[in-house]
Amino acid sequence: MARLKAFTMPKWGIEMSEGTIAEWMVAENQPFAKGTVLTLIETDKITNEVEAEADGRFVRLIAEAGQTYPVGALLAVLSDGGEADPAEIDALVAGFKPVDASFAPDGDETPAAAPPAAPEPVAAAPAAPAIPDGIAISPVARDKAVAAGLDVAGLSGSGRGGRITAQDVDRAISPPAAPTLVGVLPPSPPSPVFATPMARRVAAIHAVALETIAGSGPRGRVRKADVLAAVPAPAPAPVPVAAPAAPAPGEVEVVAMSSMRRTIARRLTEAKQQIPHFYVRRRVRADRLLALRAAVQGQRPSVNDYLVKACALALMEVPQVNIQVHGQEIHRFADADVAVAVATEKGLVTPIVRAADRLSVAEISAAMAGLAQRARAGKLKPEEFTGGSFSLSNLGGFGVEQFDAIINPPQGAILAVGTARPEPIDDDGAIRIVPVLHLSLSCDHRAIDGADGGRFLAALAGLIENPGLL
Amino acid sequence: MAIMTIRDAILQTLHAEMERDPDILLLGEDVVGGNGTAGGPEAIGGIWGTSGGLYAKFGPDRVIDTPISESAIVGAAAGAALAGKRPVAELMFADFVGVSLDQIWNQIAKFRYMFGGKTRCPAVIRLVYGAGMNTAAQHSQSVYAMLTAMPGLKVVLPATPADAKGLLTEALRGDDPVMFFEHKTLYGVKGEVPDGDHRQRFGEARMVREGGDATIVTCGRMVNFSEKAADKLAADGIGCDVIDLRTTSPLDEEAILDSVEATGRLVVVDESPPRCSLAADICALVATKAFSSLKAPPELVTGPHSPIPFARELERAWVPSPQKIEAAVRRVLAAG
Repeated sequence: MARLKAFTMPKWGIEMSEGTIAEWMVAENQPFAKGTVLTLIETDKITNEVEAEADGRFVRLIAEAGQTYPVGALLAVLSDGGEADPAEIDALVAGFKPVDASFAPDGDETPAAAPPAAPEPVAAAPAAPAIPDGIAISPVARDKAVAAGLDVAGLSGSGRGGRITAQDVDRAISPPAAPTLVGVLPPSPPSPVFATPMARRVAAIHAVALETIAGSGPRGRVRKADVLAAVPAPAPAPVPVAAPAAPAPGEVEVVAMSSMRRTIARRLTEAKQQIPHFYVRRRVRADRLLALRAAVQGQRPSVNDYLVKACALALMEVPQVNIQVHGQEIHRFADADVAVAVATEKGLVTPIVRAADRLSVAEISAAMAGLAQRARAGKLKPEEFTGGSFSLSNLGGFGVEQFDAIINPPQGAILAVGTARPEPIDDDGAIRIVPVLHLSLSCDHRAIDGADGGRFLAALAGLIENPGLL
Repeated sequence: MAIMTIRDAILQTLHAEMERDPDILLLGEDVVGGNGTAGGPEAIGGIWGTSGGLYAKFGPDRVIDTPISESAIVGAAAGAALAGKRPVAELMFADFVGVSLDQIWNQIAKFRYMFGGKTRCPAVIRLVYGAGMNTAAQHSQSVYAMLTAMPGLKVVLPATPADAKGLLTEALRGDDPVMFFEHKTLYGVKGEVPDGDHRQRFGEARMVREGGDATIVTCGRMVNFSEKAADKLAADGIGCDVIDLRTTSPLDEEAILDSVEATGRLVVVDESPPRCSLAADICALVATKAFSSLKAPPELVTGPHSPIPFARELERAWVPSPQKIEAAVRRVLAAG
């Protein structure tokens, strides 16, 4: 009985993945001695001889000359010299598994095991058994489990050495909800602008042209926050104004003023004629404010909501501006009741955020959302738009750079805010391009002096530039 | 656009750049291929196939076979770069960079700094790295984390033919030393390559896949594996941002942080042992700069803290696989 062996495609060098049989140099069943050249094999680099490692014979030649085979493929069956039973050869060929069947450079491997499923949350036991000392549990987890009356005996710990951690206890008390999946997103369009991938995606979502944005990242890279800062602020929302029917060419359509329009006209004419306005203007960098806003998770307050809060705090700092003027008297207020100009279909209304200095930005945002909605629906109650100690008018949503507003009597001052526009600023001696807001404060000189206005804008600028204070 | 392998993209870029700039020269072990054999120069060709035809075109002064001494190869490159040349030094196996480490981290990386910016050292060291070819513990390692840790070096790891061309061109046009890592299993990967002049800026990651549920940060061969995992997860409605870093120094921090801020879940895939790895570095970056965005502890998919085994089955178990990446993504999602 002959001993049979597989003769396979050799691997010469780590780059070789296949070889071609150029020629068989010995015939089937022709005995050969050690050192005899058996075959010539070509690779993409060389042609080489394969010599016999020992005396023997090929009992079956499988590979054909001129054909290419992968490394490790069965080329022939060798015997140690004797004849072999064809059935035995067939069995070897059938059972052959390529030992050297190359690596799997594309990582297509059979999975070792299915990924482990999320641990089943253990329901909290109603009773609160004492936790025996023998259980491996962290002190915080122990306290939590005792407080919640949780039986930890059934818990499997995820901590060091299987220790039950506080997180394990939390998870057992309230099993985590399966996350809401966002799923696969379409690829963002390529852009020649130096921007982060996420910035490109956000720009595509909001239809913002990346070319127009000054990047605040290293080497002027446009970041997600830069794009978000360039997205027009949602409030005050540009109200879709019902387009008045266009008059025929050459004709002038005469429309009577509504009573609301007449009131606006009268009050503003009085204000502009009777109040000695003066204006104080200031540029303020808004990059930090916009970044702070961009970092908010969930419901995001508008830029205007932050400005309401900033005005309120600045009014607390400079109470000379937080006033109403009634004839010969100046009324000072303990809280900042900030009136916010809201455009509606019928015209301008100014609902008031009461005591804005005592509200958080989120509370202001919620209050403003309700007020603006009622204002547009024409359902504001009188007490919601009368009074107020200061006004804020923001036309940034329309891309307005800068403007001056008319004071809303009897208030003493109004702040006009434009859009956040990328502009160069002096940043400790370096020139940086960041979003900049143009502020213009209109003051009633009967009650407020230039120094008061200047102090107010300084306080306001300090708050906008350090928005952590808001 | 032409379809070609990474091997051909590198070879063609070397041809094009050496034609463009007579100061570029190539040196390394067996880059001529066949010197000293009966067939003579170029009879066999360099073992990675990335230098074919260069010797015939540019001659012995610009395509130089060196002794088997990484110290000599990198030292010669450092000197040539100081003298105004633009050497490309090929280390046949990145594992042996240790032999030339003083040349790299005390000399090449520091010349510009030590001479007050008055000199430059535009050496490109090409390092062939990575496991998956059954080349055992001394010929399979990914040593990019070690070089990324050295200030003064740029560290580049193309994962596609287009990036191989773009990043190598950028390396050869710049004035700084570049550690150019080529994964040995990726040479045969095919893809589209832009025609003509194509430069890929350093420090700009590539968003390979987009999805809102988890962020996979990776580089090199692991990009391909992460894509496989992401495709698998997509079938279950799980969308992954797959970020191919392309360069680990400079590192595109914004791309990572922006994505994690959106997904809240981070998986870093790194073909190296876990300690002091790129994966650990990126994890630290996210923990310090985007901690509040995280909804689950990050997952690191790396090899174990062990040499890379020779046995094929053990090597496969050592290398992070698409299955391990997929499981890691499912774990960060299961954390609630």
